Parts: sequence; structure tokens; C-alpha cells
Amino acid sequence: MPPPIDTLIALLASSPVDMALGTALDMAVDTSINSTTSGRAADATSSAGFASPAVLLSGAAAVSSAGLALLMQPGKRGLRIAGTVLALAGFAMLFVEVLKRAGGAGEGLPPVFPVVFGFMALTGAVRMVTHPRPVFAALYFVLVVIATAGMFLLLGAEFMAFSLVIVYAGAILITYMFVLMLAQQSPVAGVGDAWYDRMPREAASAIVVGFVILATLSEAYFSSSAQELRQTQFESSEEAGLAAGWERLGGMPKLLLESVRKAEPNAESVVPRDGRLLSAQGDSASALVKLADGTEKIVTMDSAMIPDNGRQVGVDLVSRFPAGLEIAGVVLLMALFGAVILARKQIELGEDERRGLAGMRRLTVEGEAGGTGGMR
Amino acid sequence: MNQIQPLMLAATESQTINAALLVSALLFAVGLVGFLSRRNMIIMFLCTELMFQAAALAMIAFGKVHHDISGQVFVIFILTVAAAEAALALGLVVLLYRRRETLDSEAWSELRETA
Repeated sequence: MPPPIDTLIALLASSPVDMALGTALDMAVDTSINSTTSGRAADATSSAGFASPAVLLSGAAAVSSAGLALLMQPGKRGLRIAGTVLALAGFAMLFVEVLKRAGGAGEGLPPVFPVVFGFMALTGAVRMVTHPRPVFAALYFVLVVIATAGMFLLLGAEFMAFSLVIVYAGAILITYMFVLMLAQQSPVAGVGDAWYDRMPREAASAIVVGFVILATLSEAYFSSSAQELRQTQFESSEEAGLAAGWERLGGMPKLLLESVRKAEPNAESVVPRDGRLLSAQGDSASALVKLADGTEKIVTMDSAMIPDNGRQVGVDLVSRFPAGLEIAGVVLLMALFGAVILARKQIELGEDERRGLAGMRRLTVEGEAGGTGGMR
Repeated sequence: MNQIQPLMLAATESQTINAALLVSALLFAVGLVGFLSRRNMIIMFLCTELMFQAAALAMIAFGKVHHDISGQVFVIFILTVAAAEAALALGLVVLLYRRRETLDSEAWSELRETA
């Protein structure tokens, strides 16, 4: 089948964003993939039929923005209910459209967990932005953090999921709570919450900006060309990901010996071959081990032996980004100093105290000028 | 990773990545809207944290697309920056609150450029 690049470009030309991505895609993927790509893209366009995909996504984004706009209006119960319904409908439309584009399992159960966590995060985020009480907003942010951590788990990032909950929900949010308790005025009886928490500022233009960002992002992420590019990268990098996992195992001799012992309990040590402890071929890897009785034997390992996510993140952090790690430490130290210096009470000195500190003679007699200095 | 698979109840990898990217885009947009439209300075900074979350989620999703663990390592740096930002921003907020006795960001609107 000849590569119908022209057809592909014609299909992609339906929107300018698509066009830019389409050219990038053409450069990125080889011709064999292009032929399948245009086949699938043609299917997608013909099945959408009544509306072009870009319009659908933007429409859904507009509906959710409108819902958010209604939710931002203070008071008025009816408006808030309408806003909730609109926002939920918009989110649901986006989810349906985006999951449909992912293809794959059309039959059976819908992808339950991604959708559940997604809606948890979005509900929390919307409530956080619209709630008139800052303490509740912070608590809803905890909900967002937990839902995001759930998404991380689904994406196979266990270590980051748990550190997110610990650092965000455990540390950063508590700091926010402290400051809220320190600085928040208690609601006055009869008046309710502070007016600046009830009245949004420039809600309409904020919503427009949000809609533009959302439409651009969803178009960039989920246009058919971006979708195909992502799928290609996902498939083509699988091998590289496995290889990287094996390489990290090879870089950890102690862990390697432990995993070798699971297959061969008598293993004494791992002997390097061609300067490497482990030679990997895709899903499996083999290592030459020295047994307790002195003989050597080749042990093969399957992909279950690849180090878990936490170990991989740790090895990657110190082996690929050591400078970043050091800089992160410096940033934290500077933030510590900065916060201490900022939050320190500053004592205002009068003209006379300053003269005194500079070693000059004071203009007024001691005790007379007590009122010039003060805390603020 | 393999143990997580049954948890997702029929979601393919591609669907999970798409859902994560969508949630990240939506969280970023909502955070931006909140930052622009709320007046309470603490909530404004909370909204920046929301945008950090969105960025972290996108990092992890794209790391998954490329089968590259670096996406997750970047999230560690995002967490660092977020923590530093929270400490400094909240220090600033406390300072500003002491000066004006209000959290309203409009109280500082004389800092803006004259139109």
C-alpha cells in the first residue's frame, strides 16, 4: 500500500493546530506507520460525521467553562445548581470524547478508575475555586491531591503517588492551614464570610482565559495526529523502557544477586560478561553466575525481576540528575531562609534610634522619645 | 505495573493516559481561572498549587507514553519547587496581612502600573 501522506495532510488540515502537529507527525513517523495512521484517521473522521472533532472538544470545553462561570456567581441557589449540571455535563462530554479517541477496549466495562479519579479531582478543584470559605477550599485541595495520587497509581508511578500525598496533603497543605488560621478573619455574625471571598474578581474574563487554555490544550493533546503520535511513541518506546529497567538492575549488583538467588539459590556471585553483569533481550535477561561449588551457570530472568518503581526513580534521580538534586536542596534551603526573613517581625526605628545605633549622639534625652519606635 | 493492571477495570493504557492528560488540562484551566478570579491571596496561591498538580500529572502521563522514568523524577523537582514556593508565598502573605489586616489582593492594587 503506498503511503497516502497527501490524504493524511488533507485530513489534518481541518484545523490549524492539527496542521502544525500533522507536519511534526510526518517528520516523526516513517511511511509504514503513516499508512495505518491515515486509515485510522479516516475512520475517526467518518464516524464523527456530524461535527468535526475539534469542534466537539471545544464545545465540551465551552460547556464546562459556562458551568464554571455560573458556579462562580455568589449566592443564588438555582444558578449554582445549573452551573453544577453544566460543568458536570461538560466534563462528561470531554471524558467520553477523549476516551473514545483512545480507542482500544470499546466492549465491556468503561475505564472505571481513571474516570472516577478524574471526576474526584475535578469536583475537588471546582469546589476549591468556588468555595467562599478558604479552609474548605484547602480541604477540597486535599481531595484533589488524593485523586491525583490515584491517577499516578494508575499510571504506574507508585513512589510519586505516595510522596505526593505525604508532601502535599501532609506538609504543604498543613502550612496553608496554619497561615489560614493565622490570617483569616472569622466570619462576622449576620454578614457571613469576608466579602472578598464571596465576590469573584473579573469572573467573565477569567473564564474566557480558562476556556482558551482548555480548548488549546485539549486540541493539542487529543487531535487525531497527536493521538497517533502518542500511540506510536508508546509502542516504539516499550523496548527502550524495558532495556532501561534491565540496565538499572545491572547497575545495582546487590539487588541483582538477590534476584538471581530467587532463580538459583546456590548462586555465590554474578560474573561480568563483556564488562556487563546482565545482558538483556527484551522481556528477559540473562546473567552468568558462579555457584557455591565453583561451577558457572547462566541464569535467565523474566521481566518481574525488573526493579520496582521506587528503586528506578531513585537510581534515575541520582544517576541522571545529580546536579538537579543538589540545586533542589539549595532551593529548599534558600526558601527556608527567605521565609524566615520575610515573616520576621520588623521593628521600625525612629530617626533618633537610628542615630543611636550608628554611634551618633542622640538628639533627644532618654525616656522622652519613647513613642518614636514601635512594632508594626 | 503489572499488578496495577487489574485495578484499572478494562482501561487500556492509552485510555488511562488520555484520561490523565484530560484531567491535567482541566485542572490547569480550573486553577488558572481560580487564580485570576479569586481575591483571597491564600486561595490564589492554592490555585498555583493546583496548576503544579496539573503539570505533575502531565509529566507522569507523558513519562508513561515514552516509557521513561524521568517524567517521575521531574515530579520530585516539581514537588521541591512547590514546597519552596509555598513557604515563600505564605511568608509573604503573612507579611502583607500584617500591613493591611486583610487578605484581599485588591488592597495592594496601587502596586499596579498606572493605566
